Amino acid sequence: MSFDVQLVLLLWGTLVGLDLVSVPQMMIARPLVAGAVAGLILGDGALGLRLGIVFELFQLDVLPVGAARYPEYGPATVVAVSAGHLLTGAGGVAVGVLVGLPVAMLGGLSLHLLRRLNARAVHRVAARIEQGDARALVRVHVGGIVRDAGRAAVVTAIGLAVAWVTRTTIVGVLPERVFVGLAVAATAAALATAWTGTLRLVGRGPLLRWFALGLGGGALAVWLR
Amino acid sequence: MTPRPRLGTSLLRLFTVQGSWNYEYMIGLGVGVAEEPLLRDLPGGPDGAAYHAALGRGAHFFNAHPYLAGLAVGATARAEYEGASPEQIERLRTALAGPLGSLGDRLVWAGWLPFAAGLAIAGVALGLGWVAVAGFLVVYNVGHLALRWWALGAGWRYGTRVPTALHHPGLRRAAAFTAPAMAVSLGLALPLAARYLAGPFGAGSRITLAAGVALGLVLLWWRPGNLTGLRLGLTMLAAGLLVGWVWR
Repeated sequence: MSFDVQLVLLLWGTLVGLDLVSVPQMMIARPLVAGAVAGLILGDGALGLRLGIVFELFQLDVLPVGAARYPEYGPATVVAVSAGHLLTGAGGVAVGVLVGLPVAMLGGLSLHLLRRLNARAVHRVAARIEQGDARALVRVHVGGIVRDAGRAAVVTAIGLAVAWVTRTTIVGVLPERVFVGLAVAATAAALATAWTGTLRLVGRGPLLRWFALGLGGGALAVWLR
Repeated sequence: MTPRPRLGTSLLRLFTVQGSWNYEYMIGLGVGVAEEPLLRDLPGGPDGAAYHAALGRGAHFFNAHPYLAGLAVGATARAEYEGASPEQIERLRTALAGPLGSLGDRLVWAGWLPFAAGLAIAGVALGLGWVAVAGFLVVYNVGHLALRWWALGAGWRYGTRVPTALHHPGLRRAAAFTAPAMAVSLGLALPLAARYLAGPFGAGSRITLAAGVALGLVLLWWRPGNLTGLRLGLTMLAAGLLVGWVWR
């Protein structure tokens, strides 16, 4: 994989990381979108979509309300596609998720750190903001966005480095059955997470009937295919 | 007389409303930044005391759903023009924060977003590929942009009477649609996603996958406070690595 492609992935991961909270929240941070575009960049659309679905299922566990802390699956999916790129069989999903999940955890931790850094920056100009100084207000706000861009870039860069190390070291050593074991485990965890997240959203009230209706439709579509 | 508002500039700034999110002000600074263009025509202009006082108030602690924050931005800016007292404006902000948060969470995070995501997952699993991903972005953002624009406009129109806007029949209809639509969409997506992801596995691996899903469900229901999807994923990866290594 060329340096240019890595740079484009880094840029994409940064945009994805920015979209999650700061700007513009148009959901390019959703794993399905992040993964599909990363796949396009790498010329491996099928893996991008497959890993996008896996991480999208993990994402269904997350309800980003208030000050909730959660993993960041967007840049993690970009990194995962980079890690699993060109691996045959179950290898793509296995290595992708193996690298992507820790990066998602790192992304979540970095968001917490960013919020604390933002608070510190606000403290320095709190008196001026209280007096209605527009310049100080805009500066601290833009500073927060720039910090978030830097955070997303660092998370993506670390992830891409880990992906590169994983591809060049572990991949050649592990036998195919380990890849299958990892891919099965990752898929099982993603599906179980999505089921739990969905049932939590649906609850035990009248929505359960609508969910059953959709489930029946989905099962029928699977059977017909 | 109230001047022609700079709603377009304010709307653009609202896209960054969470840019300086922190645990003390939450989205307060972003709300202040978005409100600033609307305050420039207060008596005395951007150099006047009214502008500075209003901007200082606008940047106080605030929390709400980011897409609905415009309602508070528009309403408080309008209230400044209508001569509301600082106490009234603070009360208005306090009164809006909770409802805007819970309504947005219900309508968007627990409704529109999982609905669109479910459709996209189902679409990819059915072989639509990129069309499903692009469709997700279009469908989701039509609702997203409409909500942001409506919120800012309604806030500005209603001013201190903005709680009336929260009883808008369109919002009730949207809430009545998104919840069942989300449930159907995710119900449709889950079996299709399972089929799509299990496709490349052999028969033995599919049986192991089914057992793994069942085990994961039991663990997540048994330990809902401690075990998140991420932790389950990492634990199962470690188990998969071990089993794969022994089985090799």
